[in-house]
Amino acid sequence: MTTAGLPAPNDDAAARVEPDPTALVVVAHPVPDSLTHAAATAAVEGLRAVGHRVRLLDLYAVDFPAAMTTEERQAYSSTSPIIDDLVAEHCALLGRARHLVFVYPTWWSGPPAILKGWLERVLVTGVAFELDPDTKRVKPALGHIERIVGISTYGSPRSYVAMINDNGRRILTRSLRMVCGWRTSTRWFGLYGVDTATADERAEFLTRVRSGMTRPRHRATMTPRPRT
Amino acid sequence: MIGHRPRRALVVVCTPVADSYTAARASAIIDGLTDTGVQVRVRDLYAEGFDPQFSAAERRDHLVAGTADDIVDHAEDLMWCDTLVLVYPTWWSAQPAMLKGWFDRVWACGVAWDLPPGANRLRPRLTNVRRIVAVTTHGSSKLVNALQGEAGKRTVTRSLRLMCHWRCRTSWWATYSMDQLDDDRRRVELDRLVRRTRRLARRRAANRPAG
Repeated sequence: MTTAGLPAPNDDAAARVEPDPTALVVVAHPVPDSLTHAAATAAVEGLRAVGHRVRLLDLYAVDFPAAMTTEERQAYSSTSPIIDDLVAEHCALLGRARHLVFVYPTWWSGPPAILKGWLERVLVTGVAFELDPDTKRVKPALGHIERIVGISTYGSPRSYVAMINDNGRRILTRSLRMVCGWRTSTRWFGLYGVDTATADERAEFLTRVRSGMTRPRHRATMTPRPRT
Repeated sequence: MIGHRPRRALVVVCTPVADSYTAARASAIIDGLTDTGVQVRVRDLYAEGFDPQFSAAERRDHLVAGTADDIVDHAEDLMWCDTLVLVYPTWWSAQPAMLKGWFDRVWACGVAWDLPPGANRLRPRLTNVRRIVAVTTHGSSKLVNALQGEAGKRTVTRSLRLMCHWRCRTSWWATYSMDQLDDDRRRVELDRLVRRTRRLARRRAANRPAG
């Protein structure tokens, strides 16, 4: 269907399920034709261009329940904290992926509840970290993640975001980064003042995202680094 | 005429487990406020099955004043109170998704803010809120949280705070290193919370017309 050389259209890219992905793109926006989804498509194109097998997780499309349930909270400290099939599937994908890309609109200086809930429910003991039973200290378990990328749109101008703090960015590039390996890199793409952004600025943002994903050092290699 | 009236406190509780430490903290605060004559409204998000998912319809109408029909009463409570108390555990250095969803959905256009045409900064509307108290527990230490940037704290003290009265004060009643605390230490923390609540309740809602 797709003409050679042209990028796959949005729905096609989302529907294509590839085995054993090397890159996981997590999208959280309720409207499928939003700028956030366009940015996710741009990221997927960029990653595919350097040989990544990409899995797109559209949290609203799969109707991911945001809130951790009472049962999950009670199982959280046990040895088997995963009791939901969808969460188990996402955990398995996370165990194999080496590039994590989060695409979301910033609301109240953080990620939408659905993405915050994804972090809470998927990044549990045994997946993202191990808890030392004696000292109760957290030991990182996402050492195989090579890069965390955040792509976000902001209603506020950049100066305002800087003043009130980009809390979503801190969660992903610091809290999540802390349970990854020493060599895990982070990258951030933001479009600020999106309500008043022109069509050119939006197009430039998508181009920036697409080309930012195609750096040679982030080319997909065939031998994954062993989990540490 | 400057008069006084009792504080009006909205306590928003977010904990999935009914007998958790966070639940104990919430009931200590609610009791403390009620005993001192503060008018209290309680919203227990898990108990009432609050839906935290910001929907496509809400996104479409996000510049239209008002919230979705199912959460109109939450918005009323928010516009009624002068003291907002948030009780929650900190997960991944911020509020649980349930509470984040409460912000996303209830702090809507026409409730918490207005966006004048052509502007890209919100104009605050919650001038009734003079005090925000965040009551939370962290599994990790203060040091680890400082390194992570205290995202949850800044969401409350900056992002939400900016939609409230320009002199709104914020209080951060947090307990760190929860994973290492034994029962005795937890009781000490709980007593401290009760004392702080009494102190807060004794402070009159000052310098405002009565009624």
